Amino acid sequence: MTADEYLYDILASQTLGDDSDEVKTLQRHRADVEKLIRDNFKDTALTVRYAGSKAKGTMNKESYDLDIISYVSSGDNTAGESLEDIYDNHKKALAKEYTVEPKGSALRLKGCNPEDLGVDFHIDVVPGRFTDETQTDAYLYQSDGDKKRLKTNLDVHLDHVRDSCLIDAIRVAKLWRVRNRLPIRTFVLELAVIKLLTDKKKKNLSAQMEHFWTQLRDNSANLTVQDPANPNGNDLSKCLDDNLKSQLAAPAKHTLEQIDSSGWEAVFGKTEKQEKAARVEILRRAAAAATPSRPWLPKA
Amino acid sequence: MTWQHDDPVLYEKEKAEVEAHFPELRFVVENSLVYVRGNFAVMFEEQVLDHYSVELQLPRNHPTGLPVVRETGGRIPRQTDRHIIAADGTACVLLPDERWRLWPVGSPLLEYLTGPLHSFFLGQTMVEEGHSWPFGQWAHGAKGVFQFYREMLKTSDLRVMTTYLDYLAAKKVKGHWLCPCKSGKKLRDCHFDQVKDLREKISRKDAEKSFTTLKAAGTSAIEDPEANPPAPIFQS
Ligand SMILES: [Zn+2]
Ligand SMILES: [Zn+2]
Repeated sequence: MTADEYLYDILASQTLGDDSDEVKTLQRHRADVEKLIRDNFKDTALTVRYAGSKAKGTMNKESYDLDIISYVSSGDNTAGESLEDIYDNHKKALAKEYTVEPKGSALRLKGCNPEDLGVDFHIDVVPGRFTDETQTDAYLYQSDGDKKRLKTNLDVHLDHVRDSCLIDAIRVAKLWRVRNRLPIRTFVLELAVIKLLTDKKKKNLSAQMEHFWTQLRDNSANLTVQDPANPNGNDLSKCLDDNLKSQLAAPAKHTLEQIDSSGWEAVFGKTEKQEKAARVEILRRAAAAATPSRPWLPKA
Repeated sequence: MTWQHDDPVLYEKEKAEVEAHFPELRFVVENSLVYVRGNFAVMFEEQVLDHYSVELQLPRNHPTGLPVVRETGGRIPRQTDRHIIAADGTACVLLPDERWRLWPVGSPLLEYLTGPLHSFFLGQTMVEEGHSWPFGQWAHGAKGVFQFYREMLKTSDLRVMTTYLDYLAAKKVKGHWLCPCKSGKKLRDCHFDQVKDLREKISRKDAEKSFTTLKAAGTSAIEDPEANPPAPIFQS
């Protein structure tokens, strides 16, 4: 098996089909959350959409989140006058059914059963208001940070990832993040992959990943990322500070060493195919070593 | 009159050996019967390949008789092709006539667990995962008995077979009897050694049972030698 075959097998085993239990659960949660919001803002013109890996096509079975935006139309004050009001009113509405924890621009919902979902599953709802009637750019409230207002654009974010031709590399990088418990935000990781691989799009996936890890190992100090929807207004340097960069460099070095000394299998473990083959092999060997006894049923 | 009272040393020895090797199995005495219950681990090279909830009921004449085995987890469907009797959930681990080869009378109980019972549950796992029985399977009922003796005696002649079984079941065999092989010679001038050897291996009781089974089935016990051939060791 080549390195690329291996990586695509790993990705295939991480893919969540539309009829998978995980996606159905996700859709149910989304429907619940959307209903709760809409019931609370009956007079408000709201846009509720998927925003995260579900919308970008970068979902992995091993860890996925539900990210939902809930944007009020520009000039609509029915959900609150200021951005902060909109944020707080969403918080109050969601608190009727969930434990809500403010997290940057998002409201993180707890209290849905994490057992039936991925390891670190969470629901994030991001309230905001469109800047104008084109319903493209939006302002978000920032519960932390110095600036309270942040301009963003969901479609620019989605297109930046979807049009990057680097979806597979992003999914591998996300899996690598989970396996190594790296505290880098998904959005920042995606931007880092796209930035580091922007002139490697024609390379094989395995070559892309080796380049990605090599860059993290050797040049992470120089790595910066920009919000494509707001390059000047949204400073992401705090999301990728020196401490985090060194936290990325160490496992990147380790991963490259693993590939070098033990092959790709050491990075993400055996694929399902390899697991199956190993299972067949050990059963075969166990049978070869066992007492060859044949079962018999007394009555025909 | 139970074996565990007659031979408490043997009871303690069997219990200690089995519980040391299978830490999740426990000896229990109920209504003067000895049961071994718990989790049976299918192991190979220190790895647990699978486990089954089991109950072994040791016969009153242990270690002469064979244990009655049940899979108690409800995992194995009670179907004849899985070698579980639907009515009472008993597992058909082996053909008693073959036990001398698999677990000779007088062997420690532990060797039954690591021998034929291990093979039985390893086979169950393999069948469940879509493979065939690793060592093949005997046909059910009389046909399986026929297959076994065909393999042992190298004959498909039912008359020859039942005569052999008659001699194996007899209290004594005499040299002047006719040899079962149809040579027309006396036993002492023909297959006497073979008959003596088989009488050592196969108990009179088991031989008599098989004799009755084959007699009752008559020619319906005979089947195409190609059907249910002993399978080679599992190939992937
Ligand atoms: Zn059977
Ligand atoms: Zn003869």
